[in-house]
Amino acid sequence: MNAHTKTTQPQIADPVSEKPVVAYEELEEIFDDIRGHPLYDHEIHGCLNCGICTATCPSAQYYDYSPREIVQLLWTENLEGIYDAMHEKIWACAQCYTCAARCPFENSPGGLVMIMREVAIKHELPSVKEVLRPFSRVLLKVVSTGNQLAPNMITREAFPDWGPNVAKVDAPLMVLRKAIPMPTMHTLDTAWEVNLRTSVELYTIWEATGVLKQLEQVDENLFDVVSDVMEEKRDEWEEWLEEQEEDDDDD
Amino acid sequence: MANETEGKGAYNGFGADWAPTNLTENEAQRATDWVTQKIDKRFLLTGKDRKEDVRDIMWQLEKEGEIVVHRVGDHHAPEMAKTLYGWDKKIPTTNLWHHKSCGQCGNIPGYPSSVLWIMNQLDLTYLDETDQTSCTAWNYHGSGIGNVVSLAAVFLRNMHQAYVSAKAQGLPEGTYYPLIHCGTSFGNYKEIRGFLLHSAELREEVKKILGKLGRLVDGKLLIPEEIVHYSEWLHVMRHRIKERQQIDVSNIRTTVHPACHVYKMVPEDVIYDDTVMNGDRVAVTTGLLNSLGTQVIDYSTWYDCCGFGFRHIIGEREFTRSYAIDRKIKVAVEEARSDVMIGHDTGCITTLDKNQWIGKAVDKVYALPVMADCQFAALTMGAHPYKLAQLHWHASPFEGLLEKMGIDWEKAKAEFESYLEEVKEGRIETLYDPKRAITSGPGYVKPPKSLPEKTEQGA
Repeated sequence: MNAHTKTTQPQIADPVSEKPVVAYEELEEIFDDIRGHPLYDHEIHGCLNCGICTATCPSAQYYDYSPREIVQLLWTENLEGIYDAMHEKIWACAQCYTCAARCPFENSPGGLVMIMREVAIKHELPSVKEVLRPFSRVLLKVVSTGNQLAPNMITREAFPDWGPNVAKVDAPLMVLRKAIPMPTMHTLDTAWEVNLRTSVELYTIWEATGVLKQLEQVDENLFDVVSDVMEEKRDEWEEWLEEQEEDDDDD
Repeated sequence: MANETEGKGAYNGFGADWAPTNLTENEAQRATDWVTQKIDKRFLLTGKDRKEDVRDIMWQLEKEGEIVVHRVGDHHAPEMAKTLYGWDKKIPTTNLWHHKSCGQCGNIPGYPSSVLWIMNQLDLTYLDETDQTSCTAWNYHGSGIGNVVSLAAVFLRNMHQAYVSAKAQGLPEGTYYPLIHCGTSFGNYKEIRGFLLHSAELREEVKKILGKLGRLVDGKLLIPEEIVHYSEWLHVMRHRIKERQQIDVSNIRTTVHPACHVYKMVPEDVIYDDTVMNGDRVAVTTGLLNSLGTQVIDYSTWYDCCGFGFRHIIGEREFTRSYAIDRKIKVAVEEARSDVMIGHDTGCITTLDKNQWIGKAVDKVYALPVMADCQFAALTMGAHPYKLAQLHWHASPFEGLLEKMGIDWEKAKAEFESYLEEVKEGRIETLYDPKRAITSGPGYVKPPKSLPEKTEQGA
């Protein structure tokens, strides 16, 4: 029997907010998705409430976040608490896995947070879009090229708090890139030059694993842009393959 | 009741059996020191029940014909190292396939170029090619977009490419062995390898995808025998690097920032060495710095992360910079009086290097050079600080450190600026023949059909 016993059908809502209430069934669905995740049993084994995880957690020092609380909410099947934590708290985790390395039970609160983030995206919780908005440039880059970061993303405008010394030699970016002694890195749009075949294979992986669907749930416009890029690259690859066949025939 | 110990740092405790210890201040300090020492030991990492060596499952699955293992062979000239529980880990030292890091290549290019340069100095063979994706785990940990199947498919796809890459040069499959540059890729790949070995369902799902990509070996998934981080390679090569050291660094006080994803993820696969910090701390980087003769200074927040946070460095930078300054930079400067902080991961170096200037806004003015272990090692071997170690991409002030090492940075900078004029004219120096970087698709040049098969090729 579950620790959480359904006696009534309570609804969750903030009494001072006009936000709509959440049906109990949705809370159950969310928890079922968390519990049904293929890694759930790997990440949680029990909890003594010892708090080693929180004592060592960097985010706990700066946010209203505690990995101990996350484990406890899941272990006691506190559906309302889980739902509440999925709006803000789970996004505070810095994913360092110090908690996992130190937990005497070998729980991974950081791993549980990842499961909850995946489920938050699946259920399109409003906080997801808000939290991931600043991340959209990175998402576009990683999904369309497989590289998370590109040299032309590191600018003084994008990172004013990094100060004036981001580049200590004054020269056009492409010249500086060509002065790196690794030919694969003479690029601006990607961290290294990405083989066309690599991109095409990556798109197959995204499609087969539901990543594109996740992207669509988070940002529909971004999904459209990525779809266009994918189509373009695939056409390019097909054309190249055709050219190769023609060349082989000529031989 | 008035609290007799109030203001003396004690607390009341709870429960009927609780009684004050009545320790003197000295005794209390000794007790605290004992606890601190204990929690810094390996105990918290090793005192667990569920540890297993997943390589045992891997060999069994290969025996049952379900997977193929990419072995670290004799032609990789492996060196043995000991991991957390004293298990052996085979570290290949040559014929390496560079699995680059998107953060390093985009932001800290002197990081990978130093690794390749050291390999050239040691006459080792490698391949740096364009046919690879990042592990995509930075994105996953930051956004939650991605999942265990996508991460596993990307992992196996890249590992397969490492395995077959030598064919482009007319060499046998398996010639090159993957060397992972990024700490997150390293941690993520090890975690995913464990999931794959444990889950037949996951293997089945990923196999369908890899089959579609034409990336199975004899119809089976290919899994590497060892997942190897470049810092592990540096560790086993440290004595050979020492032999080529040109610059004395015995006057340099170094602090190490160990990367969470290097040693906290799958900790049982991380190198520990009783001769490095008594085996209490992960051996990589610290072992190298000891061998080079620096003064490695321990500090109280050694165990803390850098504050990178994956999503935080992009969208919640207040956390990242506060944590980086308060918990790492400030402590390294004030407590350890460090001349330089040395790391071994992409995100950490970026975070600690870039987030110092902003401290001025709150009167936290610290100036601590931050670089990777390979960059520091290359400098001691005589590498050019700009042309090779590419230090001009770093925001932290490295010039004073170079002066302390006896390197004339102004002269080196002038040389580099003059080299940039050559670059503008298309006269570019590279570490290897650029044609080798493309192994398929547009730009690939097939090797001549008469090329005999061999296992070694000079870089």
